[in-house]
Amino acid sequence: MAVFTPARAREHVAEVVANVFLSRRYFLLRLARPQDFIEPEAGQFIHVAVPANAAEGRFFLRRPFSVHDCTPDFIDLIIVEVGPGSQALRRAQAGDRVHFYGPLGHPYPVLPGKRILGIGGGVGLAPLHYYGFRSPATLGRGYRLVYGARTREDLFLDHIPLEGAGVALATDDGSCGFRGNVVQLAERELLREPADAIFSCGPTVMMRAAQALADRLGVPHHASLENRMGCALGACRACVVPTTLDDDSPYRTVCHDGPVFDGSVLRWEELPVP
Amino acid sequence: MNDIAVTIGPVRFKNPVFIASGICGYAEEYSSLVDLSRLGGVVTKTITMRPRPGNLPPRIHELPYGALNSIGLENVGLDRYVAEKLPQLNQRPDVGVMVSVAAETEEEFIRLAEAFAPMDGYAGLELNLSCPNVKGEALDQGRNPQLVERIARIVKDRIPHKSLWVKVTPNITSVADVARAAEQGGADAIAAINTVIGIDFDLATGKPVFARGSAGYSGPAILPIALQKVWECVKAVSIPIVGIGGISTIEDVRKFFLAGATAVQVGTVLYNDPGLPERIIDALEQNPHWLKARASATVTPADPSY
Repeated sequence: MAVFTPARAREHVAEVVANVFLSRRYFLLRLARPQDFIEPEAGQFIHVAVPANAAEGRFFLRRPFSVHDCTPDFIDLIIVEVGPGSQALRRAQAGDRVHFYGPLGHPYPVLPGKRILGIGGGVGLAPLHYYGFRSPATLGRGYRLVYGARTREDLFLDHIPLEGAGVALATDDGSCGFRGNVVQLAERELLREPADAIFSCGPTVMMRAAQALADRLGVPHHASLENRMGCALGACRACVVPTTLDDDSPYRTVCHDGPVFDGSVLRWEELPVP
Repeated sequence: MNDIAVTIGPVRFKNPVFIASGICGYAEEYSSLVDLSRLGGVVTKTITMRPRPGNLPPRIHELPYGALNSIGLENVGLDRYVAEKLPQLNQRPDVGVMVSVAAETEEEFIRLAEAFAPMDGYAGLELNLSCPNVKGEALDQGRNPQLVERIARIVKDRIPHKSLWVKVTPNITSVADVARAAEQGGADAIAAINTVIGIDFDLATGKPVFARGSAGYSGPAILPIALQKVWECVKAVSIPIVGIGGISTIEDVRKFFLAGATAVQVGTVLYNDPGLPERIIDALEQNPHWLKARASATVTPADPSY
């Protein structure tokens, strides 16, 4: 009998500790960590209920956000404004209460002794940051990160210091670090020093290029996807993506089978490009 | 605590609060967030004879007063449901299970009913004759009273000791005709309603949001529609009505009882507020008179419209 393993998530209410402006589109939401919040693994997310407000009304679907950092005192999320839900969250102030449940989803693998290269873009920074630099389970084990954005402003280095050992930065306009896209930079880094695995999180186009790079080099690639979700527990089947797997269905849920997938099973050409 | 048990057909449920089909999968998925044993029961995701992969993504789309979905009855099929999903759920003590089933033909309904007839571990079947998100027969069955009566009868004849609910579509002129047909066929309850057909367009692409175009609308927007269909069914039949559609507060549940419902199913709101079903049960246990609060079925003669 095949057994479905349900999430170990719990419902929590947390106070907003701070809501920090990072750049024009990005902000960092810091929540007080509830005492009984289970330690997340890097790549896992929490499902956040957007507080109702006068301007936008009520929101019926929660929003999934990957954990950027989690300490005994707080949980950090990086959020990009893409619609009314994230706009409403941007307005959340210190002291507001936010409902969420988690941690949820399939994390990045822990690979002791392996050299890992993370490739991140935009809010895709969160799980890669947590994996290499914060999570006690995976911190500092031969991990390198290449991270890219459109401009220096969108790297928000004033708020999230990334310049240092093990990190290489890219900007489209050359205003900081390598001029060009982050996967080109990753390729250069891998020529300098190979890796045993590639982790990616960011825009679909970026992760697709990361898959092509991994294929060329013969290196495993673990990609963290996002999608609109209903339950975030593997129940409602709303957030599925097509894969090359097929036992009854080629679809797998981003919320429960993912968000981190073995990139080689994803049908990349069919994934939505927002 | 007050006893708020309800009896529907040959089965007694510990209370009248259920989770609607399609919302909580095969229920185990929600086990860390909802105490499933507190519910009157869960209606598990619709299963069909053969596994179905479901519709091309995207499958869910949020709107100001609810959500459109186009899942397309993705399910593991009868064999895996019976071998894996139901046994796993049955390992939890005391969870009431209603199994939602759909089929393309009467022959398939017979085979489904015969598969379940000798089994334990479930309270009854809910016939999904009204899914708007699949091609072909399913929705049309729910629009055809003669067919509804025949399907109800061939299933009920095979599971006389279980509760048989027929879930009806609101996307029809007269839900009363379908409810009467289900009652004639031997259904123990009418579950009203399934999602309301809707569509939305993406202004950036100029195309419908979903590959199939139309989709099923749920959430608070459909509450008054659901209440009206329940009201209509209550007047048409004497079997219990299970009210479904748009519940997002305890007050909404009270309105279903005023409309004459015997039980309710909570759906889309679970995605936002998974604690609501248990809060509804707490409130009903403290206020059992709400269950008997059915409004008078007479409307003022001064109102010629109804």
